[in-house]
Amino acid sequence: MLTQLRLTTTKYGAITLTNLQNQLAYIWDALGRAVFIILIMFIFVQLWTAVYQSQNTTEIAGLTLANTIWYFLIAEVMELGKIRHDTRITEEVRDGSIAYTLVRPYNYLAYHFFNGLAEGGVKMVLIFALGLPLVLYYAGSPTLTWAHLPLVLLVMGLAVLLDFFVLSIIGLLAFVTEDTFSFRLIYQKLVFILGGLMIPLDFLPDWLQGTARVLPFNLTTYAPAKLFVAFEWFQFRQIVGLQLLWLFIFGAVLLWQYRVMTQRLAINGG
Amino acid sequence: MQYEAGKPAIEVRDLAKRFQLKQKAPGLRGSWQAVWRPEMREITAVSPLSFTLEEGDMLAFIGPNGAGKSTTIKMLTGILFPSSGHATVLGCVPWQQRRQLAYQIGSVFGQKPQLWYHLPADDTFRLFARIYELDMKSYQRRRDFLVEAFQIGDLLQTPVRKLSLGQRMKCEIAASLLHSPRLIFLDEPTIGLDVVAKQQIRDAIRTLNETENTTIFLTSHDAGDVESLCRRVIVVNHGRIIFDDKTSVLKRQYLRRKVVDVRFADALTEPFTLPGVETVKQGTYGVKLEFDSRQIPVESVIQQVISGHTCNDINITDPPMEEIIREIYAV
Repeated sequence: MLTQLRLTTTKYGAITLTNLQNQLAYIWDALGRAVFIILIMFIFVQLWTAVYQSQNTTEIAGLTLANTIWYFLIAEVMELGKIRHDTRITEEVRDGSIAYTLVRPYNYLAYHFFNGLAEGGVKMVLIFALGLPLVLYYAGSPTLTWAHLPLVLLVMGLAVLLDFFVLSIIGLLAFVTEDTFSFRLIYQKLVFILGGLMIPLDFLPDWLQGTARVLPFNLTTYAPAKLFVAFEWFQFRQIVGLQLLWLFIFGAVLLWQYRVMTQRLAINGG
Repeated sequence: MQYEAGKPAIEVRDLAKRFQLKQKAPGLRGSWQAVWRPEMREITAVSPLSFTLEEGDMLAFIGPNGAGKSTTIKMLTGILFPSSGHATVLGCVPWQQRRQLAYQIGSVFGQKPQLWYHLPADDTFRLFARIYELDMKSYQRRRDFLVEAFQIGDLLQTPVRKLSLGQRMKCEIAASLLHSPRLIFLDEPTIGLDVVAKQQIRDAIRTLNETENTTIFLTSHDAGDVESLCRRVIVVNHGRIIFDDKTSVLKRQYLRRKVVDVRFADALTEPFTLPGVETVKQGTYGVKLEFDSRQIPVESVIQQVISGHTCNDINITDPPMEEIIREIYAV
């Protein structure tokens, strides 16, 4: 039992480590792409400074300008660091390389999760590190206490997992549809509007906020960013509860979908 | 189900695969109709196939493009579910026991890479060792053996993207053999390779079969692979078996013709002819010859070619698989 656990941990750990080496082989390329965050954050800072000044207020829906700036850095870290395995699954089906990835002795989705973890992790660290000086300059230190940090990291971890489940559902559709771009686009736009990437949910009208808060999209982006800037125990419990509920729902869908889709996988031709 | 030694490595009974393909008439009108009233057509990739393969045997499973070879391999490795029929591979039903089977089989798809492109092959080797749960001592022993068999010792530290096709393919095949599979599916393993690389790969595969009794299931368009590796040949076309016999029988009946391409140093001034040899094509500096190697030995033809001319290059090939299959049908 313990031996099997050690072998399984080593197996999935090796997948993450190998992709980490792959990321490091092209670290300058990744760094070049991540530099974009400086421009995004600079635009956000200018935009929201203008909004707060035009309202002649120091707080909107309980968030100060500094909170809002920090919120967007964390939201961007969560969004840009996502595991984009759905496109990889689509490519595997199209170019036939699934003939290799599907027949190895591991769980196919777990392989993609641990593979993507390295790529996502590197991106998250780079984006945070590059955006940090600008945010510190304009917004100062974050208000998050050290005691709350592990709890926010837990929510971040569950957010990554939840997003992985949704993108897995989209990716597995490629087994039948071959192309999943449109599904991904719809999901991205929903996260953009209802997930708090464009604007924190607190700034939305009440009727839309109520709906957006129970949907899964905000739990991948808004939830960790909001708790990072304004931690509340009540909201933390609510978020974790909803994250676990949606993980259960999407997990059940994934189990069913994986069984059905692998039976319907169509890759004819050499 | 536990695999019992002495039982066939592969047992296939009426295995078939059909796909639904969306049809579209040409032009914008056709595209519009395909959106609203898609027309589906069922294509049969593999018609009911039945065969067995004994452990330690080397089988060439050949046929023209679209014959259903790769689809059969994908069913036998568990990637595709069959539309009907049954198969067991080393005692496992591949599509139901894919993970269990994965420890015992290896696969190489010549046109698809499995090595990490930006990393040295050694890094992928280490990853596979973990994935197949090898202990580091036996991994090291196995790696050393494969390094020697495929002569890849000086390639393992170079990023894969910097390797030539032949070098990469040797590493690709070695990677598939790290976990000492009892059965290997080789799908076009020598495609696009030069003569030397092909020979090295064939030698290494033969060594594995002789020393470890590894069962080989090969598909290839290269008649040379079939001739030099396999004892038995199954020819499929349109998903049906049209020939199943010893390679020697195929060779005697259908692989007798050879094609020789010659490049001369000087221009040819008159028609090139040799007794018993057909001149398929003649240019200013070269000829393409075809002949029956049972009637005239290859050495004799080459001797006659080089005795009268200075040659820059000579290339001896087998006729393409499509031609062999045409001949099988003609009989």
